[in-house]
Amino acid sequence: MADTKNDSKKRVRNFTFKALKATVKGVLCYVFYFVLWMFVAPIAEIIPGFQMMVETFVIVYIIFIIIGELTSGTIFQYCFNVARALFVIGYLIFSLNGGIFGLTLENISFMVDLRLFLAIAMLLGLLGLAKSVLQAVNYMSEKAEYTSI
Amino acid sequence: MRVPIRMIGLATTFFWIFLIAFFVSAVYSLKDVHFDFGDPQTNLTSDNKFILSLPVSITNKGFYNIDSFNMSTEVLDREGLSIARGSTFIPIIAKNGSVTVTHNMTIDINDLLERYQDYLFNDTEVKIHEIVGMKIGDMIPLQASANFSVPWGAPLYNFSLGEVEYAAYNLTHFRAVVPISFENHAPFDVVGTIQTRMNNSAGEVIGNGQTNIEAYHNSPYNGYLELYVPITGITESGRFEIYFQTPLFNNEKPLVIRYG
Repeated sequence: MADTKNDSKKRVRNFTFKALKATVKGVLCYVFYFVLWMFVAPIAEIIPGFQMMVETFVIVYIIFIIIGELTSGTIFQYCFNVARALFVIGYLIFSLNGGIFGLTLENISFMVDLRLFLAIAMLLGLLGLAKSVLQAVNYMSEKAEYTSI
Repeated sequence: MRVPIRMIGLATTFFWIFLIAFFVSAVYSLKDVHFDFGDPQTNLTSDNKFILSLPVSITNKGFYNIDSFNMSTEVLDREGLSIARGSTFIPIIAKNGSVTVTHNMTIDINDLLERYQDYLFNDTEVKIHEIVGMKIGDMIPLQASANFSVPWGAPLYNFSLGEVEYAAYNLTHFRAVVPISFENHAPFDVVGTIQTRMNNSAGEVIGNGQTNIEAYHNSPYNGYLELYVPITGITESGRFEIYFQTPLFNNEKPLVIRYG
Protein backbone atom coordinates (compact mmCIF):
# COMPACT_ATOMS: atom_id res chain seq x y z
CA MET A 1 0.00 0.00 0.00
CA ALA A 2 2.83 2.34 1.05
CA ASP A 3 4.80 1.37 -2.11
CA THR A 4 1.88 2.27 -4.37
CA LYS A 5 1.53 5.63 -2.60
CA ASN A 6 5.24 6.29 -2.99
CA ASP A 7 5.10 5.29 -6.66
CA SER A 8 2.28 7.68 -7.43
CA LYS A 9 4.04 10.46 -5.52
CA LYS A 10 7.19 9.80 -7.53
CA ARG A 11 5.21 9.86 -10.75
CA VAL A 12 3.57 13.16 -9.89
CA ARG A 13 6.98 14.61 -8.95
CA ASN A 14 8.48 13.31 -12.18
CA PHE A 15 5.69 14.72 -14.25
CA THR A 16 5.89 18.08 -12.47
CA PHE A 17 9.62 18.18 -13.10
CA LYS A 18 9.10 17.30 -16.78
CA ALA A 19 6.37 19.93 -17.11
CA LEU A 20 8.62 22.49 -15.48
CA LYS A 21 11.50 21.57 -17.77
CA ALA A 22 9.19 21.72 -20.80
CA THR A 23 7.91 25.14 -19.72
CA VAL A 24 11.44 26.48 -19.24
CA LYS A 25 12.54 25.14 -22.63
CA GLY A 26 9.44 26.53 -24.32
CA VAL A 27 9.91 29.95 -22.71
CA LEU A 28 13.62 30.01 -23.61
CA CYS A 29 12.77 29.11 -27.17
CA TYR A 30 10.18 31.90 -27.31
CA VAL A 31 12.62 34.42 -25.82
CA PHE A 32 15.21 33.40 -28.44
CA TYR A 33 12.60 33.93 -31.17
CA PHE A 34 11.51 37.24 -29.61
CA VAL A 35 15.07 38.61 -29.55
CA LEU A 36 15.76 37.53 -33.12
CA TRP A 37 12.46 38.96 -34.28
CA MET A 38 13.48 42.43 -33.15
CA PHE A 39 16.24 42.34 -35.78
CA VAL A 40 14.10 40.92 -38.55
CA ALA A 41 11.01 43.06 -37.83
CA PRO A 42 11.93 46.01 -40.12
CA ILE A 43 12.30 43.69 -43.10
CA ALA A 44 9.33 41.52 -42.08
CA GLU A 45 7.04 44.54 -42.31
CA ILE A 46 7.80 44.70 -46.02
CA ILE A 47 7.28 41.00 -46.73
CA PRO A 48 3.62 40.02 -46.45
CA GLY A 49 3.00 36.72 -44.69
CA PHE A 50 6.55 36.43 -43.38
CA GLN A 51 5.58 36.99 -39.75
CA MET A 52 2.81 34.40 -39.95
CA MET A 53 5.18 31.93 -41.58
CA VAL A 54 7.78 32.33 -38.82
CA GLU A 55 5.19 32.37 -36.03
CA THR A 56 3.60 29.13 -37.27
CA PHE A 57 7.03 27.54 -37.37
CA VAL A 58 7.90 28.70 -33.85
CA ILE A 59 4.54 27.60 -32.40
CA VAL A 60 4.77 24.10 -33.89
CA TYR A 61 8.44 23.83 -32.90
CA ILE A 62 7.69 24.83 -29.28
CA ILE A 63 4.79 22.35 -29.17
CA PHE A 64 7.16 19.61 -30.31
CA ILE A 65 9.67 20.64 -27.64
CA ILE A 66 7.01 20.57 -24.91
CA ILE A 67 5.58 17.21 -26.01
CA GLY A 68 9.11 15.80 -26.35
CA GLU A 69 9.92 16.88 -22.81
CA LEU A 70 6.66 15.57 -21.38
CA THR A 71 7.24 12.19 -23.00
CA SER A 72 10.92 12.05 -22.01
CA GLY A 73 12.08 8.70 -20.73
CA THR A 74 9.81 6.91 -23.21
CA ILE A 75 10.28 5.93 -26.83
CA PHE A 76 7.70 8.59 -27.76
CA GLN A 77 10.21 11.31 -26.91
CA TYR A 78 12.40 10.14 -29.78
CA CYS A 79 9.40 9.70 -32.06
CA PHE A 80 8.49 13.33 -31.45
CA ASN A 81 12.09 14.40 -31.95
CA VAL A 82 12.10 12.62 -35.32
CA ALA A 83 8.79 14.29 -36.16
CA ARG A 84 10.26 17.66 -35.17
CA ALA A 85 13.34 17.15 -37.38
CA LEU A 86 11.10 16.12 -40.30
CA PHE A 87 8.85 19.12 -39.66
CA VAL A 88 11.86 21.48 -39.76
CA ILE A 89 13.04 20.02 -43.08
CA GLY A 90 9.57 19.97 -44.62
CA TYR A 91 8.56 23.41 -43.42
CA LEU A 92 11.76 25.03 -44.64
CA ILE A 93 11.43 23.50 -48.09
CA PHE A 94 7.75 24.46 -48.26
CA SER A 95 8.04 27.99 -46.91
CA LEU A 96 11.22 28.92 -48.76
CA ASN A 97 9.76 27.62 -52.00
CA GLY A 98 12.69 25.33 -52.68
CA GLY A 99 15.23 28.08 -51.96
CA ILE A 100 14.11 30.69 -54.45
CA PHE A 101 12.13 33.28 -52.59
CA GLY A 102 10.29 35.77 -54.75
CA LEU A 103 8.31 38.84 -53.86
CA THR A 104 6.72 41.64 -55.81
CA LEU A 105 6.23 45.03 -54.23
CA GLU A 106 4.42 47.58 -56.35
CA ASN A 107 6.42 47.47 -59.57
CA ILE A 108 9.59 45.91 -58.21
CA SER A 109 10.24 42.17 -58.15
CA PHE A 110 12.64 40.84 -55.57
CA MET A 111 14.28 37.46 -55.77
CA VAL A 112 16.44 35.99 -53.03
CA ASP A 113 18.36 32.81 -53.71
CA LEU A 114 18.41 30.95 -50.42
CA ARG A 115 19.40 27.58 -51.87
CA LEU A 116 22.75 27.50 -50.10
CA PHE A 117 21.12 28.49 -46.83
CA LEU A 118 18.41 25.90 -47.38
CA ALA A 119 20.99 23.20 -48.22
CA ILE A 120 22.87 23.87 -44.98
CA ALA A 121 19.61 23.95 -43.02
CA MET A 122 18.61 20.65 -44.65
CA LEU A 123 21.92 19.05 -43.67
CA LEU A 124 21.49 20.25 -40.11
CA GLY A 125 17.90 18.98 -40.13
CA LEU A 126 19.10 15.59 -41.36
CA LEU A 127 21.77 15.58 -38.68
CA GLY A 128 19.05 16.26 -36.11
CA LEU A 129 16.99 13.45 -37.60
CA ALA A 130 19.97 11.08 -37.45
CA LYS A 131 20.58 12.07 -33.84
CA SER A 132 16.97 11.34 -32.90
CA VAL A 133 17.09 7.95 -34.65
CA LEU A 134 20.36 7.11 -32.88
CA GLN A 135 18.83 8.18 -29.56
CA ALA A 136 15.86 5.90 -30.21
CA VAL A 137 18.15 2.98 -31.10
CA ASN A 138 20.24 3.67 -27.99
CA TYR A 139 17.14 3.86 -25.83
CA MET A 140 15.82 0.56 -27.15
CA SER A 141 19.17 -1.21 -26.78
CA GLU A 142 19.63 0.08 -23.22
CA LYS A 143 16.09 -1.01 -22.37
CA ALA A 144 16.78 -4.47 -23.82
CA GLU A 145 20.00 -4.71 -21.77
CA TYR A 146 18.20 -3.82 -18.51
CA THR A 147 15.38 -6.28 -19.28
CA SER A 148 17.85 -9.14 -19.92
CA ILE A 149 19.84 -8.30 -16.73
CA MET B 1 26.83 5.62 -27.54
CA ARG B 2 25.55 8.49 -25.42
CA VAL B 3 28.68 10.59 -25.83
CA PRO B 4 28.70 10.59 -29.66
CA ILE B 5 24.97 11.36 -29.65
CA ARG B 6 25.55 14.27 -27.28
CA MET B 7 28.39 15.49 -29.51
CA ILE B 8 26.13 15.35 -32.56
CA GLY B 9 23.51 17.27 -30.59
CA LEU B 10 26.00 19.93 -29.52
CA ALA B 11 27.41 20.31 -33.01
CA THR B 12 23.92 20.56 -34.51
CA THR B 13 22.85 23.17 -31.95
CA PHE B 14 26.02 25.19 -32.52
CA PHE B 15 25.60 25.18 -36.30
CA TRP B 16 21.89 26.03 -36.04
CA ILE B 17 22.66 29.03 -33.85
CA PHE B 18 25.45 30.10 -36.20
CA LEU B 19 23.22 29.71 -39.27
CA ILE B 20 20.24 31.54 -37.76
CA ALA B 21 22.45 34.33 -36.39
CA PHE B 22 24.08 34.75 -39.80
CA PHE B 23 20.77 34.80 -41.63
CA VAL B 24 19.13 37.23 -39.22
CA SER B 25 22.13 39.58 -39.20
CA ALA B 26 22.31 39.46 -43.01
CA VAL B 27 18.62 40.36 -43.29
CA TYR B 28 19.03 43.02 -40.60
CA SER B 29 22.03 44.60 -42.30
CA LEU B 30 20.04 45.03 -45.52
CA LYS B 31 18.32 48.03 -43.99
CA ASP B 32 21.71 49.73 -43.71
CA VAL B 33 22.44 49.54 -47.41
CA HIS B 34 21.57 52.80 -49.14
CA PHE B 35 21.39 53.67 -52.80
CA ASP B 36 21.50 57.22 -54.07
CA PHE B 37 20.89 58.08 -57.68
CA GLY B 38 22.26 61.36 -58.97
CA ASP B 39 20.96 63.47 -61.81
CA PRO B 40 21.34 61.78 -65.19
CA GLN B 41 23.95 63.32 -67.50
CA THR B 42 24.00 63.18 -71.28
CA ASN B 43 27.02 63.09 -73.56
CA LEU B 44 27.95 62.40 -77.15
CA THR B 45 30.66 59.93 -78.14
CA SER B 46 33.12 60.52 -80.95
CA ASP B 47 31.08 58.16 -83.16
CA ASN B 48 27.98 60.26 -82.44
CA LYS B 49 26.24 57.96 -80.07
CA PHE B 50 24.21 59.28 -77.21
CA ILE B 51 25.43 58.36 -73.73
CA LEU B 52 23.14 58.53 -70.76
CA SER B 53 25.10 58.48 -67.50
CA LEU B 54 23.54 57.92 -64.13
CA PRO B 55 25.71 58.43 -61.05
CA VAL B 56 24.94 55.78 -58.43
CA SER B 57 26.23 55.90 -54.90
CA ILE B 58 26.04 52.78 -52.71
CA THR B 59 26.69 53.00 -48.99
CA ASN B 60 27.06 49.74 -47.13
CA LYS B 61 26.76 50.15 -43.40
CA GLY B 62 25.70 46.55 -42.88
CA PHE B 63 27.59 43.76 -41.16
CA TYR B 64 28.78 42.06 -44.34
CA ASN B 65 30.50 42.90 -47.58
CA ILE B 66 28.38 43.16 -50.68
CA ASP B 67 29.87 41.11 -53.51
CA SER B 68 29.20 41.00 -57.21
CA PHE B 69 27.05 44.10 -57.32
CA ASN B 70 25.61 44.27 -60.80
CA MET B 71 23.28 46.86 -62.22
CA SER B 72 21.99 46.39 -65.73
CA THR B 73 19.56 48.47 -67.69
CA GLU B 74 17.89 47.67 -70.95
CA VAL B 75 15.95 50.26 -72.90
CA LEU B 76 13.24 48.78 -75.09
CA ASP B 77 11.10 50.32 -77.75
CA ARG B 78 7.33 49.97 -77.65
CA GLU B 79 7.53 46.62 -79.44
CA GLY B 80 9.94 45.25 -76.90
CA LEU B 81 13.07 45.40 -79.07
CA SER B 82 16.26 46.44 -77.38
CA ILE B 83 17.45 49.96 -78.08
CA ALA B 84 20.25 50.20 -75.57
CA ARG B 85 21.86 48.18 -72.86
CA GLY B 86 24.12 49.23 -70.04
CA SER B 87 25.77 47.31 -67.26
CA THR B 88 27.79 48.25 -64.21
CA PHE B 89 29.65 45.74 -62.11
CA ILE B 90 31.31 46.31 -58.75
CA PRO B 91 33.21 43.27 -57.47
CA ILE B 92 33.04 44.23 -53.81
CA ILE B 93 31.56 46.92 -51.58
CA ALA B 94 33.23 46.53 -48.23
CA LYS B 95 31.25 46.85 -45.02
CA ASN B 96 31.19 50.41 -43.74
CA GLY B 97 32.28 51.44 -47.21
CA SER B 98 30.83 53.58 -49.92
CA VAL B 99 31.21 53.36 -53.68
CA THR B 100 30.14 55.80 -56.35
CA VAL B 101 29.95 54.63 -59.93
CA THR B 102 28.54 55.97 -63.15
CA HIS B 103 26.08 53.72 -64.87
CA ASN B 104 26.42 54.37 -68.60
CA MET B 105 24.11 53.49 -71.40
CA THR B 106 24.93 54.07 -75.02
CA ILE B 107 21.98 54.71 -77.27
CA ASP B 108 22.24 54.70 -81.02
CA ILE B 109 19.60 57.35 -81.68
CA ASN B 110 20.04 56.98 -85.43
CA ASP B 111 19.25 53.29 -85.26
CA LEU B 112 16.16 53.95 -83.16
CA LEU B 113 14.88 56.74 -85.38
CA GLU B 114 15.53 54.72 -88.51
CA ARG B 115 13.25 52.03 -87.16
CA TYR B 116 10.54 54.33 -85.88
CA GLN B 117 10.34 57.68 -87.57
CA ASP B 118 7.55 58.84 -85.32
CA TYR B 119 10.03 58.91 -82.42
CA LEU B 120 11.40 61.94 -84.28
CA PHE B 121 8.13 63.83 -84.33
CA ASN B 122 5.92 62.54 -81.52
CA ASP B 123 6.43 62.45 -77.81
CA THR B 124 5.99 58.89 -76.65
CA GLU B 125 7.61 56.60 -74.12
CA VAL B 126 10.33 53.98 -73.95
CA LYS B 127 10.31 50.98 -71.66
CA ILE B 128 13.13 50.38 -69.24
CA HIS B 129 13.97 47.03 -67.70
CA GLU B 130 16.22 47.45 -64.68
CA ILE B 131 17.96 44.65 -62.78
CA VAL B 132 20.06 45.12 -59.67
CA GLY B 133 21.80 42.07 -58.24
CA MET B 134 24.19 41.53 -55.37
CA LYS B 135 25.47 38.89 -53.02
CA ILE B 136 25.32 39.46 -49.28
CA GLY B 137 27.95 37.88 -47.09
CA ASP B 138 29.17 35.67 -49.95
CA MET B 139 26.14 33.47 -49.45
CA ILE B 140 22.83 35.13 -50.20
CA PRO B 141 22.28 36.36 -53.77
CA LEU B 142 19.61 39.01 -53.99
CA GLN B 143 18.07 40.47 -57.11
CA ALA B 144 15.59 43.24 -57.70
CA SER B 145 14.08 43.98 -61.08
CA ALA B 146 11.61 46.53 -62.31
CA ASN B 147 9.92 47.48 -65.53
CA PHE B 148 8.87 51.03 -66.05
CA SER B 149 8.30 53.53 -68.81
CA VAL B 150 9.97 56.87 -69.23
CA PRO B 151 8.77 59.63 -71.50
CA TRP B 152 10.54 60.09 -74.77
CA GLY B 153 10.73 63.66 -75.98
CA ALA B 154 10.73 63.97 -79.75
CA PRO B 155 13.60 66.08 -81.13
CA LEU B 156 11.38 67.44 -83.90
CA TYR B 157 8.07 67.60 -82.09
CA ASN B 158 5.26 69.20 -84.06
CA PHE B 159 7.48 69.75 -87.09
CA SER B 160 5.60 71.80 -89.62
CA LEU B 161 6.14 73.96 -92.66
CA GLY B 162 4.30 77.23 -93.04
CA GLU B 163 2.76 78.82 -96.08
CA VAL B 164 5.20 79.07 -99.05
CA GLU B 165 5.93 82.64 -100.02
CA TYR B 166 7.25 83.36 -103.50
CA ALA B 167 9.23 86.41 -104.50
CA ALA B 168 10.74 87.20 -107.87
CA TYR B 169 14.44 86.33 -108.01
CA ASN B 170 15.25 86.69 -111.72
CA LEU B 171 13.45 86.31 -114.99
CA THR B 172 13.26 82.54 -114.78
CA HIS B 173 13.18 81.78 -111.06
CA PHE B 174 11.27 82.60 -107.92
CA ARG B 175 12.74 82.64 -104.47
CA ALA B 176 10.48 80.48 -102.29
CA VAL B 177 10.62 80.93 -98.55
CA VAL B 178 9.18 78.17 -96.36
CA PRO B 179 8.86 78.79 -92.62
CA ILE B 180 9.90 75.86 -90.42
CA SER B 181 8.87 75.33 -86.84
CA PHE B 182 9.23 72.57 -84.29
CA GLU B 183 9.98 72.02 -80.62
CA ASN B 184 12.94 70.04 -79.43
CA HIS B 185 11.65 67.92 -76.56
CA ALA B 186 14.65 65.56 -76.64
CA PRO B 187 17.31 65.53 -73.94
CA PHE B 188 19.92 66.56 -76.52
CA ASP B 189 20.43 69.51 -78.82
CA VAL B 190 19.55 69.17 -82.46
CA VAL B 191 22.32 70.70 -84.54
CA GLY B 192 22.58 69.93 -88.23
CA THR B 193 21.00 70.61 -91.56
CA ILE B 194 17.62 70.22 -93.16
CA GLN B 195 17.63 69.44 -96.86
CA THR B 196 14.44 69.95 -98.80
CA ARG B 197 13.33 68.89 -102.20
CA MET B 198 10.28 70.62 -103.64
CA ASN B 199 8.13 68.65 -106.06
CA ASN B 200 5.26 70.03 -108.07
CA SER B 201 1.93 68.29 -108.60
CA ALA B 202 3.41 66.30 -111.51
CA GLY B 203 6.07 64.94 -109.21
CA GLU B 204 8.91 66.85 -110.83
CA VAL B 205 11.66 68.19 -108.60
CA ILE B 206 11.55 71.93 -109.01
CA GLY B 207 13.90 73.05 -106.28
CA ASN B 208 16.37 72.10 -103.60
CA GLY B 209 17.14 73.93 -100.42
CA GLN B 210 19.19 73.52 -97.35
CA THR B 211 19.32 75.27 -94.02
CA ASN B 212 21.27 74.87 -90.84
CA ILE B 213 19.39 74.33 -87.62
CA GLU B 214 20.43 74.68 -84.05
CA ALA B 215 17.65 73.77 -81.65
CA TYR B 216 18.51 73.43 -77.99
CA HIS B 217 16.76 70.82 -75.94
CA ASN B 218 13.42 71.81 -74.45
CA SER B 219 13.12 74.84 -76.63
CA PRO B 220 11.13 75.78 -79.73
CA TYR B 221 12.76 76.42 -83.07
CA ASN B 222 11.55 78.77 -85.76
CA GLY B 223 13.40 79.27 -89.01
CA TYR B 224 12.90 79.21 -92.73
CA LEU B 225 14.10 77.49 -95.85
CA GLU B 226 15.01 79.16 -99.08
CA LEU B 227 14.55 77.51 -102.46
CA TYR B 228 14.96 78.83 -105.98
CA VAL B 229 12.29 77.39 -108.20
CA PRO B 230 11.67 77.82 -111.92
CA ILE B 231 8.58 79.93 -112.60
CA THR B 232 7.32 77.47 -115.19
CA GLY B 233 7.49 74.49 -112.83
CA ILE B 234 5.42 75.95 -110.00
CA THR B 235 2.02 74.43 -109.40
CA GLU B 236 -0.57 75.26 -106.77
CA SER B 237 -0.02 72.01 -104.93
CA GLY B 238 2.83 69.61 -104.53
CA ARG B 239 5.00 68.14 -101.84
CA PHE B 240 8.19 68.72 -99.93
CA GLU B 241 10.61 65.90 -99.22
CA ILE B 242 12.60 66.70 -96.15
CA TYR B 243 15.85 65.11 -95.00
CA PHE B 244 17.43 65.76 -91.61
CA GLN B 245 21.15 65.42 -91.15
CA THR B 246 22.55 65.74 -87.66
CA PRO B 247 25.42 64.00 -85.91
CA LEU B 248 22.88 61.94 -83.96
CA PHE B 249 20.40 60.97 -86.62
CA ASN B 250 19.72 61.03 -90.34
CA ASN B 251 16.52 59.97 -91.97
CA GLU B 252 17.00 57.70 -94.98
CA LYS B 253 13.34 57.92 -95.85
CA PRO B 254 12.28 61.53 -96.41
CA LEU B 255 9.52 63.18 -94.47
CA VAL B 256 6.86 64.14 -96.98
CA ILE B 257 4.74 67.22 -96.38
CA ARG B 258 2.15 68.32 -98.91
CA TYR B 259 1.48 71.91 -99.72
CA GLY B 260 -1.28 73.76 -101.50
